[in-house]
Amino acid sequence: MTMSDTPVAAQKAPRRPKRARPAAWPWLAPALLMLGAFYLVPILDVLRLAFGDATLLRSVESYGLEGIQQTLSSPALPGVLWVTVVFTAASVIGILATGMLVALTVVRGEMRGLWGMSALRTVVLTAWVVPGIANGLIWQMLFSEAPFGALNSTLAVFGIAPVRWLSDPSNAMVSAAIANVWQGTAFAMIVFYAARKGLSQDLYAAAAIDGAGPFARFLFITLPQMRAAILVATVLVTIQTLNTFDVILALTGGGPGRATEVLSLFTFNTVFYNFDLSGGSALALILVLIALLLTVVYIRLLGDRPDQDK
Amino acid sequence: MTGRGTERLADLATYVIALVLIALFAAPLLWLVSLAIRTPAEVFLGAARFIPDQPTLANFEQILTDRTFGLYLWNGIKLCALGAMGALVVSVPAAYVFSRRSFRGASALMLGILTVQMVSPLVLLIPLYRYMERLGLLETHAAAAGVYMALGVPLSVWMLKASFDAIPKSLEQAAAVDGCSPAGTLFFVTLPLAAPGMASAFILNMLMGWSQFLVPFILLSRDQLQPISVAIFNFAGSTSASTTQLLAAACVITVLPAIAAFLALQRLIVSAIMAGAVKG
Amino acid sequence: MTHRFLRILGAVGAACAVGIPSSLAAQDLITRDRVGLPDAPNTMTFRLTAYDLYSSDDATRTAFEELFAEFIEARPDWKIETQIATDNIGQEQARLLEQARAGRGPDCAMIDSSQLALFKSADVLTPMNAHWSEAEIDDLFPFVREAVTNEDGDLLAWWWFTDLRVLYRDTRLVPDAPQTWEELQAASLATVDAGKEGVLFNGGRWEGTTFDWLAHFWAQGGQLVDDEGRPVFAEGENREKFLTAINFYKDLVDSGAAPPRVTSIVNYDDFNAAAAAGTTGLFIGGNWQYGQLRGTLPVEDFAAWEVSAIPGPSVDARATGTGGWTIAAMSDDEDAVRICAEMIREIYSGQSNAIQGLLPTSAAQYERFDAFDGPEYDVFAQALVDGQARPGVPIYPEISNNIQILIGDVLSGAATPEEALDAANAAVQAAYERL
Repeated sequence: MTMSDTPVAAQKAPRRPKRARPAAWPWLAPALLMLGAFYLVPILDVLRLAFGDATLLRSVESYGLEGIQQTLSSPALPGVLWVTVVFTAASVIGILATGMLVALTVVRGEMRGLWGMSALRTVVLTAWVVPGIANGLIWQMLFSEAPFGALNSTLAVFGIAPVRWLSDPSNAMVSAAIANVWQGTAFAMIVFYAARKGLSQDLYAAAAIDGAGPFARFLFITLPQMRAAILVATVLVTIQTLNTFDVILALTGGGPGRATEVLSLFTFNTVFYNFDLSGGSALALILVLIALLLTVVYIRLLGDRPDQDK
Repeated sequence: MTGRGTERLADLATYVIALVLIALFAAPLLWLVSLAIRTPAEVFLGAARFIPDQPTLANFEQILTDRTFGLYLWNGIKLCALGAMGALVVSVPAAYVFSRRSFRGASALMLGILTVQMVSPLVLLIPLYRYMERLGLLETHAAAAGVYMALGVPLSVWMLKASFDAIPKSLEQAAAVDGCSPAGTLFFVTLPLAAPGMASAFILNMLMGWSQFLVPFILLSRDQLQPISVAIFNFAGSTSASTTQLLAAACVITVLPAIAAFLALQRLIVSAIMAGAVKG
Repeated sequence: MTHRFLRILGAVGAACAVGIPSSLAAQDLITRDRVGLPDAPNTMTFRLTAYDLYSSDDATRTAFEELFAEFIEARPDWKIETQIATDNIGQEQARLLEQARAGRGPDCAMIDSSQLALFKSADVLTPMNAHWSEAEIDDLFPFVREAVTNEDGDLLAWWWFTDLRVLYRDTRLVPDAPQTWEELQAASLATVDAGKEGVLFNGGRWEGTTFDWLAHFWAQGGQLVDDEGRPVFAEGENREKFLTAINFYKDLVDSGAAPPRVTSIVNYDDFNAAAAAGTTGLFIGGNWQYGQLRGTLPVEDFAAWEVSAIPGPSVDARATGTGGWTIAAMSDDEDAVRICAEMIREIYSGQSNAIQGLLPTSAAQYERFDAFDGPEYDVFAQALVDGQARPGVPIYPEISNNIQILIGDVLSGAATPEEALDAANAAVQAAYERL
């Protein structure tokens, strides 16, 4: 908008019919300004770098699509993407399901005045705030395949043969997802807990009178009523999981081979092992595209239906 | 079976599920505690010993008597509280307008805001450093808190929109009929009802900030400014002796204020906003 | 709830405020971010790891506080502003490089020896020739001298301690040190028959895996890069040597001489744990673990453990990887560079090695300090003759990354050695072009 436009706009405003709603932008301005001031320039810079040939050692010397082309044609990329899909799907499903289970258990327990509910909430939450550096320490011991490894020794008590938690490529993926679910469940729990708390008890009372069992109530009341929260949790957990690499880095480093190397870890390696800042930026863009695509899919599946909205 | 009997049975099931969940989530934490109470000699036993032969609290003592540990904790709390508060304040109006109005480009804008959260912080590291260097804001808490805030906006907007969506519009329309301005309606009618959602958005922001490593790492290299998430590495140092036990103790201690803050704030926020609703 | 939270905060605050000073004089002069008096007119900034002056180990820290206090008391016009480096080496060095390029780097910094090449090629290091004599530089081990100087003969850093990899064995199970690959395999199988796990080594996805394995490649005379720094490990003779060394590892696992879990080992500490639990009789580890074992094992068990050079394809063909840390100056200010150099000379090079038992980088220093009299140091000093540093080229980390992937794939049976080598080479060559 140029300077000369402003007075016109200002003059026009009062002439609007009274029932027209005021513009949306003053409401949006604080959030957008905040993002713009602190984050927009670096993000645009990532975009610029993705189309360049910068390394940690030198700035961009020429722009073009070659960098992106080379990044896309890397022979490792398809495998990395597959690992990302599996890890993300396993983690997101695991986090959402566990988070829902914990939230509903806590809500039910609190309503019935059962003991130990805040202990459950707190312990789940603690897993989330434990500093990342501790993750490696903890899970290395748990999954250790040495004869004295924590999980394997526990299994041995029950006569179960030792499991190759980390050295077997497909198990390593499961183990990494377990560690990630352990840490990430708190997020989904908090979102679901708040949403479930917000639901009116009348709905459930009515359903109980209709003779609906607990499973039916969950399926036909809780799930549909919490759709907005489920959408938000799914979107945010997916984005977080896509960007997660510290759990994996601490546990397997991405190995054995590339068995647990997700896209964000691949990006990490590209930037910090290969010093390829532009290649890393291109990978970061791919990650953004994947996240956007998934978000749109989620909104289609879980978002408000137009007929209900207006 | 009587209704009461069913409830009893369901209570039992709830207990069983809760206990199993507690056990699953607590087990890894107990291993961390096990490390934190070991002597250096026993640390190298790793998973081979769960309960140390010579448990010790010396590690906790060493961390708590460290002259700067408190400062690191304070820096961490300050940065994430500022970030979470700021993010919430700017996100409320945005989320409200996204929830209550339909305007052109609304969904595109929602997605656009979310994109901020999708860009890998790993790659942003260098551009962020250069940007803050140009602004002359390196080594300041203002810049770090600002970035925390910006990082909290997408999450807050999305979460708050979801909780506003769950509040029936009829209540607001009643207020509007009573002559409430849109801002007044938001403040006195909608916000109190959205208290649980706001509390969780705040807490999520706070806790995400608490574990934030890359942003303070790149923006703050002076020791006095660092939050605990970065400074915890100061306890990871020794080439010959093991410091794993200290690190574990530091991790355990670091968790406590975050949990305390979580429990305190959750109740505080919910009750404050609900009290407002009663008065309003 | 709120009150409890405040009480916790208060308790933490009080605990921090009270903090029992260990030595009052040192306390005034040394804080977490400064050595010297706050109002000293001249400042040198120094980025260091938390391993020494700020070590969590009391004895180490006290010794360093004394050294630093003495150093700064002799230079009352100076203070050293310290910044602690995290041990995320990748991110840490990227940050340091970015700060140096923006002209905001510290005057003086510790740099991991494997990352030194990156800083040399970024042209951010200040030569320190004026502060060391030709003779002193010549006395450095060859692999050290080569790494810290450039083509013009400038001394760009001082590599003040090194480390190396050796074979540890429990002499109750393996009385004689295996000298060759074959002997190692036979000895490992013997320990398996005795109910142990076999030989342990790093095989997971981390730098240690590549570094330890390179000993077997180097022992045959293999080269990762040519004189221009181009990766050539998959070409000509190098290719055969590479495959031979990989197949040696593969045979160890396939024959049961090493457990399949080696592909999950990403930490030298795992070997200490296995030794302490008595589940292994052989492992390839770092020299620093000798001291750790001494502190962990009961006296009679520790007495049974001995070190020897890593076995090679034949008795005469041996090698071991050498690492360690360097200190370099990044300042334009001559005086700050001088203080940095003097600090290296008076505190780190020699004194610090002795305090921490870290291996010095020149033969002369082994004679100078009593700390290096133990029998293990004879083994270490002898093995250092066959010491080889990782190539000082910026492509090395990516080569290492691909060797880690290759070892994981081959040992877990996901790829044959040939396939894995071709894949690794393709990835490295592509990365080399982009660099």
